Parts: sequence; structure tokens; C-alpha cells
Amino acid sequence: MTSTVRELLLSAEWAERAPDLRDEGWMLLDLHGVDRIGLTSEADDRGRFEIVCHLVKRDDASRMIVHVGAEGDPPTVASVTHLWGTAGFAERETYDMYGIVFDGHADLTRILMPDDWEGHPLRKDYDVGKIVIDFKPQPFLQIEAPGQAPSFGESEVETDALGQMKQDGADE
Amino acid sequence: MSRTEPRVDEAIQRIEDEGQGAFVESYDPDDEVMTINMGPVHPATHGVLRLLLKLDGETVTDCKPIIGYLHTGMEKECEDQNWRGAVTIVTRMDYLAPFFNEHAYSRAVETLLGIEVPPRGMYIRMLMSELNRLTSHLVQFGTQGLDMGAMSAMFYGFREREMITDFFEMVTGLRMNHGYIIPGGVWEDLPDGWREQMDNILEVMPNRLNEYQELLSENPIFIERTRGVGTITAEECDSFGVTGPIARASGIDWDLRRDLPYEAYDELDFDVPIQEQGDVYARYQVRMAEMIQSVALLEQIVERMPEGDYKNMDPKLTPPPRSEMNRSMEAVIHHFKLVTQGYVVPEGEAYFAVESPRGELGAFVVSDGGTSPYRCHVRDPSFYNLQSLPIMARGGLVADLIACIASLDPIMGGVDR
Repeated sequence: MTSTVRELLLSAEWAERAPDLRDEGWMLLDLHGVDRIGLTSEADDRGRFEIVCHLVKRDDASRMIVHVGAEGDPPTVASVTHLWGTAGFAERETYDMYGIVFDGHADLTRILMPDDWEGHPLRKDYDVGKIVIDFKPQPFLQIEAPGQAPSFGESEVETDALGQMKQDGADE
Repeated sequence: MSRTEPRVDEAIQRIEDEGQGAFVESYDPDDEVMTINMGPVHPATHGVLRLLLKLDGETVTDCKPIIGYLHTGMEKECEDQNWRGAVTIVTRMDYLAPFFNEHAYSRAVETLLGIEVPPRGMYIRMLMSELNRLTSHLVQFGTQGLDMGAMSAMFYGFREREMITDFFEMVTGLRMNHGYIIPGGVWEDLPDGWREQMDNILEVMPNRLNEYQELLSENPIFIERTRGVGTITAEECDSFGVTGPIARASGIDWDLRRDLPYEAYDELDFDVPIQEQGDVYARYQVRMAEMIQSVALLEQIVERMPEGDYKNMDPKLTPPPRSEMNRSMEAVIHHFKLVTQGYVVPEGEAYFAVESPRGELGAFVVSDGGTSPYRCHVRDPSFYNLQSLPIMARGGLVADLIACIASLDPIMGGVDR
């Protein structure tokens, strides 16, 4: 397999570089995000989020991976939908999963998660399992109050703060 | 027409009053464009694909695919698994081509580990991949026929698929979602009697492929329904990142097995079928020709199957054999570490792509030097191929749209991940 060219860019550089790459015959195959908060290597000023673009040129069977840093709050990168149609779905997915905003995307809405979802699941600080999964209210499923589990009467087992059962005769 | 219009208006009014806009999203009698919702549960959308159609009479003027109904956060789940365990997650993405998911992921992890796969491991991987290409294309053949009203194609396609999934069951223990190709090689060696079963498959398949030729390829109704329908040009394929049989049916001469060879594909002799028309029938022909090539590849793979190890035997990567653990303390320690913790992959990132039945299937993994993937992204070909559906559908009839979806062969498990 031929070696892959790797480029690190800032978001402003990506907006200038992308049209050149398209004119050189590079085809965008994939675009996705990475949350680099837990990575120690390559610590630079490109910020916490980056998008990774995979390009291929068929003439000489070469590949290129472009890392584009997404700076700012919310992290923002220039959209390339006007250059490659591929980016349409891919940028929507990246926005959905990481909250990276693509400047110039015509229809930047959630694609995989429901439209009213809060948060961006692939971020490393997204609390997996800590969020009560409360789907849209459905009358026949409402038991007592939203977000409350059905009660089974008073529990006779005493528990401590961590939910562990208290042992009889265990002296503290 | 004038007699039916008030009734349509009444129906629209009732839908608006009662808030049941499930079928007709909007209807404007003046410009005669109706927005209709198709799916997400519809027999012709192959899973849970939802399409928002703009119709002028029976003609599709616009089409918007809406996805996400099968999203289960598999990429996030991979981050909680160890490197070996993530194989069992990625295999469930494109569920008709599980070996390709495992293959791309395993090769990406092997790139990070910097390890080699023994020749027998490579050949078993190619054997399973080509068989999997057959099963996947057979499902496509069956569903394409079914959607066109040729129900018997489904029965024939699934009859041969059954034979191959029996072989998968014999080798991996499972018919789908195998978790068989792992970083370092494959999980188990081929069992006794695999050669007889393979010879049986290779004897039967060429004749059966000829049967399909008679059943659909020369069927005048099928040709009428598919030729010149759902056309896409090579430039549009390039723009939308369309790969695989769909791109090859539009004249793009590109196959990763030949152009960026992996495993031992460069030692084997095969052709890449190309068609120029870019319509549904051309895509069908490319897939049929690919099945013939896969059978030819399988014959060579079975003939050349080397002896030796089937996975990398580095004790830091592969659990020791049971017999070894009864004698060696070191083997017990290795086993304990691998089972409780898993192996560590050096920090870095890698992308590896294989040619799946639907196009380039790539896995991008990032390691932070720990025992589980920091990030595991899978480029699923269906996700990108689906974007080209509006181009194919525009200007055609609703019935042509059904043919286009079938020829796209989208697997929603891979699209939504």
C-alpha cells in the first residue's frame, strides 16, 4: 500500500486549501470528528476538537488524511459542501456527534440523534449512562411523574448513601 | 380529476385537524406538487430508511433521505471495549458484510501495533471475505428481484446464501456477526472438513449463477424496469464519494483489491467488472459479474491455502493454548493479563480501507496508549452511497425510485451505526 500523506491544518487554512485539493483531483471519501481532550501527543494550539478528512486520488492511487483544528466556542470549521457533495451527510454527522459548527452548510441539522436531543454524544465529557433516558412524553407510559421510576411500596431494606445494603450487627 | 379533488381537500383538512400528518406532509392543489412521506417502516426501503418525496403526479421531483432510526451509538460503544472486544461491535454495523467490518478494523489496529499476519491468516481472511461478498450480493440479487415483483429471485438467492452461511457457521460458530477476524489474524483455524464443504460450494455456484442469468438478466420485464432508470454519472459519483459497484457501473475503474492491494490479493488473478451506463441494470450486471469473479478468486484461494499459523502467536497478543497453561506459569500470567485487561496498543492513529460489497469500507482508530480504542470511526459505504439517491430518483417515477433503492443496496445498520 502506498504511503498516506498527512497534513495538519487550522480551520482558516482548510477553507483556502480545500478548493486547491479539489482542483488537483482529490476526492473526499470521509469526514469525521475527533475529541482530543485525552490525547497527550501533538499538543499544540489547534484546540480540543478537530475534523479528520480522508481524501483519495485515483490517478496515482494515493491517499491523504487532513486534520483540521476546530477553534472557538462553539468549535467552527468552514464547510466544504460546495466542493464535495460527500460532506453533506458527513458534516451533519460531525455536528450531531461533536457540536462542531460548519460555516456555510445549508442544512446543518442533527442527522442520527433526534432533533430535540441535548448534548453531543461522542464528546468525551458526555455522561454515558448518567442521563435519564426520557423520551417524548407518551400518555400511556406516564406512571407518576416524568423521570420517576414506578414505586413498589416502601423498601424494608436499609441502604447507605451508596445504595449498599446495610449489614446487621456491623458496627461503624 | 375534478371529482376527486374535494375529497383530497377533505382528507387534508381532516389530517390537519386531527394532527395525523403521517402520510401526506403537504398538498398544494395549484402547483400539483405533493410532499409524501415514505418509510421509515416500508417493505421497499430495506430497513428503516425514511424518504421525504416531492411528487408531481407520479414523477419524483425531489427526494430527501432521512436517517438515524437505527442509530445505537456503536462508535461510542467501541470506546468502552478492549481492542479485541471492539471487533464484536464493529461486526454489527454493516450486518450483511460483517467480515469486512472486522477486516478493516483489525487491519487498522494491526497498523498501529506494527505486526504481521501469517500467510494462512491472510488467506483465511480473503476466503471469508469473498464468500461474504457472495452472500451480500445474493441478498441484493434477491431483494432487487423482489422489489421489481420477481419474487422467485428471493428464493433462489437465499437458497445459495444458506449454503454459504452454513459454511460460516461451521467455521465461526455463527451465521452473522461473527467476530472472527481479529487483530493479529483470525480467531480459529479452519475446521476439519472445510475443504469438502468449499468444494461443494465451488461446484454448485457457477451453475447457479448461470440460472440467475436466465432468471433475471435476460428477463424482458426486468430489463424494461431497470435499463435507463436511476442514472448517475461518474462525475456525480466522484462528487458524492460513491464507491463500489455503483461507481463501477458508471465507468469508474477503481477497486481497492487491485489498486491498493491488501492481504494477498496481488498474488491472485481476477478482473474488475466495469459498466458504462450507470443505470440500475448496469449496477445489477456489475454485481453479477463480481460474483463470478469472487468464485474464481475462491478457487485460487482454496488451491493456494498455505499451512502454518493462522494468527500472530505473540504471547502478548494471543492467549496461550490450554495445554501450555497447564505447564507454564508465564502462560498463565499472559492469559490472565489478556482476559482481564487486554493488550495495549501504542499511541497513534491509523486508517485502513477494504473493498466491501458496497464500496470502500474504512476504519479509523485512534489510540491513547491504553487497552481500549480512544476513537473508532467506521466509514460505511452505504452512508455515502445513500446521498446519491436524490440524483438517481429525480425525474423518475415512484416505481423507479424503488428500483434505485434496491440497486443502491443500503444497509441501515451501517448507515446509522
